[in-house]
Amino acid sequence: MYRKSLITILMTVCFLFGLISVGGAQEKLVVWIGGHVVEQEETWAKIVEDFEKQSGVDVEYRLIGFEVYYDSLVTAYEAGEPPDVCFADLGGWVPTFASQGWLEPLDDWLASWEGVDQIWENLWPTVTYEGKKYGLPWYTDCRLLLYNKIMFKEAGLDPDDPPQSWDELLEYAKLLTDASQMKYGYGVSGAMSETTTLGYMIFLFGAGGELLTSDYRQAAFNTSEGLEALKFYTDLYTKHQVSPPGTPGYTEDDYRTMMAQNRIAMAIGGPWSFPLIELANPEIKGNYMVATHPYLREPASVLGGWASVISATSQNKEIAWEFIKYITSYDVWVYWIEQHGGPMPTRIDVCSDVPQFQDPKWKVILDTFPYAKVRPPIPEWPEVSHAIQSMVQRVLTGEMTSEEAIEWADNEVNAILGK
Amino acid sequence: MWPLSESNVASYFKSLIQKPAFLFIIPYFLVLLLLIAYPLYTNFYQSFQTESGLSLENYKNLFKNPLFFKILGNTGIWVAASVGLQFVIGLGLALLLNQPLKGRAIFRGIILVLPWATPDIVAAVAWKWMYNDMYGVFNDILVRLGLINTYLPWLGQPNLAKLAVIIANVWKGFPISAMLYLAALQTVPKDLYEAGSIDGVSTWQKFRFITLPLISPFILTTVMLTVMWTINYFPLIFTMTGGGPANATDTLVTFAYRKAFRFMDFSGSAALSTFTFLVILVFAVVYTRYLLREEEK
Repeated sequence: MYRKSLITILMTVCFLFGLISVGGAQEKLVVWIGGHVVEQEETWAKIVEDFEKQSGVDVEYRLIGFEVYYDSLVTAYEAGEPPDVCFADLGGWVPTFASQGWLEPLDDWLASWEGVDQIWENLWPTVTYEGKKYGLPWYTDCRLLLYNKIMFKEAGLDPDDPPQSWDELLEYAKLLTDASQMKYGYGVSGAMSETTTLGYMIFLFGAGGELLTSDYRQAAFNTSEGLEALKFYTDLYTKHQVSPPGTPGYTEDDYRTMMAQNRIAMAIGGPWSFPLIELANPEIKGNYMVATHPYLREPASVLGGWASVISATSQNKEIAWEFIKYITSYDVWVYWIEQHGGPMPTRIDVCSDVPQFQDPKWKVILDTFPYAKVRPPIPEWPEVSHAIQSMVQRVLTGEMTSEEAIEWADNEVNAILGK
Repeated sequence: MWPLSESNVASYFKSLIQKPAFLFIIPYFLVLLLLIAYPLYTNFYQSFQTESGLSLENYKNLFKNPLFFKILGNTGIWVAASVGLQFVIGLGLALLLNQPLKGRAIFRGIILVLPWATPDIVAAVAWKWMYNDMYGVFNDILVRLGLINTYLPWLGQPNLAKLAVIIANVWKGFPISAMLYLAALQTVPKDLYEAGSIDGVSTWQKFRFITLPLISPFILTTVMLTVMWTINYFPLIFTMTGGGPANATDTLVTFAYRKAFRFMDFSGSAALSTFTFLVILVFAVVYTRYLLREEEK
């Protein structure tokens, strides 16, 4: 009898707790954070805690590793159960998600936000879809030439004088390559990966070419500049062999790891590469540097980064806006830089004020950033990017000549955009 | 059951329900229905969805895409080579491990469990590094053995990449085949071999006329299962090559994944998945009919 009533009491308690947690779910903001910043767990805990204190809102946040983040997000949106707020790769994902009707436009809130003028001008197109802004850029970066100073010295080159033109790039790369030692001068990204598209884009922009027309409705790379860029980029591997034999399977991330072991002298990288290359080999610290990527006609870079977005189905949109406004505020960003030194904030005032950015590496980044262009912010981008990757791979593997491949990709991209 | 009449049907169900086995199956059956039949149905439905209502357009687009046929060919090579090699190596190892041998349990444990128990992604990343053309151990071993002169870009050349993912898959998949064959070998009565020995038959004849006929049902089952698994096996290729270079290792499932998760073409991906499902269904039907026939014997 005693035991029976104990069980009844326990069950009642459990039931009541169940009710309370259901009742409490109303004022909870669900936030997903992904990208390269999820490892800074303690800082996120502090930022979220401060927001909770300030606003009285309960925030349930999840930090999700990059490898699974994209699939988790797409699955959550497709299932109709997305987080209220999440981070999305700007340029690539934001317009894609917006075209699916998954995101809430932020224009009305942005109009009355004092920070709007502080966001770098060239970032807004990355979060715009059909004239509306769907994201608030949070951190950004631009692609640069990452190089290994030790290998420069060994090859008799001045480690403080990186190549500036394509001719110099090739000349240096040849000097830095010693195939018998399995050391290579320049890592050409050639894998089935976004980095291959980005690699081609940097050479294309550097030659003065464009990827798509300004309305993003047609391919614009099938020009003499586009062909020049494709030839030079792929010749580095096929003709000059200054990129390793496995090039069609490597990304810039692979090259960064090899650079940490003094096997690759130059590759494309960016501010995110600094902690990662030191993680791969702590001894590389102080022996790598960045520079504006060598170019043929004009300085070129591609920007990337992450933006906060609000789900169209969220029940807490006002609170969600308060949250993303808060994390993008001057004070939170200065605090973040004090803690971690990077990545690069989307706010101009923070970039110019913080002492950490007086470092020579950051000087290069901030000098190059104004030249950085966005990846076309269109929902078809993943397919277009895949066509560019296939184009590069077909030339690298000898399946096609540059002329044939660019013709093929031109048709392919126009077919994708013409759908 | 025939002729069909109301009382007939009623008594059939009554007798069915009274069987305990049937009752035990019900929960499992319901879960299966929920977890398999429902997604299958939604996938099937979605494969006909287009902006202008339900139509066959997704399928038309699929068959119009020249890449589809290349990928179909790739899938054929991937499945035939993987299953073939897993069969040969699996059966060979099972025969060896079935011999009386000191420490047999340890051998069985290491050879048959280790690759199979390694998580897919871990295995794929490990193979990716082993194939590396700058410091991959695979190249190193081949050079030391004198089989090649310089390091090969295993994942960087279309044909080598095909071979590379197949080798990795065979390594990952042969233990389960070997385990099933080993189980099969142990069902063969020992006295048959003794009788054979008395009649003076050779080892090959023993294998050909005693072992093979007796384990052939197991072989068919195992081959069918590995065919279905291999068609559906995604993580290894995706992690090692992402389908590259130049689509050389793209299979039906990596293509379907890319369509849905990269290109947001959920309907197109659904059409491709339905096609893949039908291919697998052919094997499943052959397999099930065979099982039923065996039962009747």
